Amino acid sequence: MELSTIFWLFAAAFCASALGGVLGMASGIFIVPMLTLLFGVDIRVAIGASLVSVIACSCGSAAPFLKGRLTNIRLAVVLETATTLGALTGVLFIGIASTSFLYGLFAVILAISAQQMLARRREMIDATAPNVKSWATVLRLHSSVPDSVIGKDVPYQVGRVPLGLALMYGAGLISALLGIGSGVLKIPAMDTALRLPIKVSSATSNFMIGVTAAASAAAYFVRGDIDIDIAGPVALGSVIGALVGARALMGLPADKLRIFFVVVLVLLAVQMLLSALGINILGGLA
Amino acid sequence: MKSATDNYERREQMIAALLWYGTWLASAVIGVGMILGTYDIVKAGVALFICLPIARVALMLAIFLRERDYAYVAISALVLAIIGAGVLAGL
Repeated sequence: MELSTIFWLFAAAFCASALGGVLGMASGIFIVPMLTLLFGVDIRVAIGASLVSVIACSCGSAAPFLKGRLTNIRLAVVLETATTLGALTGVLFIGIASTSFLYGLFAVILAISAQQMLARRREMIDATAPNVKSWATVLRLHSSVPDSVIGKDVPYQVGRVPLGLALMYGAGLISALLGIGSGVLKIPAMDTALRLPIKVSSATSNFMIGVTAAASAAAYFVRGDIDIDIAGPVALGSVIGALVGARALMGLPADKLRIFFVVVLVLLAVQMLLSALGINILGGLA
Repeated sequence: MKSATDNYERREQMIAALLWYGTWLASAVIGVGMILGTYDIVKAGVALFICLPIARVALMLAIFLRERDYAYVAISALVLAIIGAGVLAGL
């Protein structure tokens, strides 16, 4: 592969990751459209490369959350049984899914992401006494989170685990099929089904994304479906962008950036939908 | 309760260290491979990244085993088994 292409792959992944990091969102959702639309990469190759960068970003950003005791690791491993099972289903299903279907599904997920970016997340903390027979109680999932304002730990409960597991299965499936972290599906599942404090759900979701993506990436890797020439620079660009770039860009106005991202997500959704129908406008520019 | 909290924090520190140093190792390997233009080194770096979350689940299994928390040993083992099944399906 040409050196300039490797450089552009690295640079594009770095920018997507740095800009996404300012808003605390994973860049995974931008990697596949970027590779297919700008670089003319086959969507299945793009999915494999994107999964590696999703793993890199999840692992690279996990440490501060763990040290801040925001990640509920018991809950994460319980939910990972469902996300990895979903990923396994995706690995088996992607062989028979048509390219048009993948583009169409991607367009839907982009549209949902745009809608979520506009909506404010709500916290629904359950203050009643824990139900002694609930899954969360049996599995000892209730925990506490440090609150810097009042300077002590605030306990929280974990809500409907079976519903959470069902939604996580779907998130794992979408992750394997589209090469994304599926934070877009995991976060609402954690907010509405499990009713976690927002910081806990963001940290735990980020923690789980790596394992979910690794479940499908490992299968694609042994199949030889991961194009190393593309996956290498994209993963490196993403992880450096997330760790270094996002910090450098923290001064950018978050509200304007949010609107910018919504516009980009909507445009990408339209283009992916057109690609599903076999029409490609942006591809002509590359 | 104090010892339980200490334990909890040490467990978190170990997992955080694995993921943090693992990320830098895998990134460095990919970077070196890209500079040298050596496909196999880049491939090794990509493989390291894919193995990192799996190693994290294995570490959690070991921690739960040491704490004699057998329910969670079984849950961690199940996650590893599902990932293993995917790899077998890919072969």
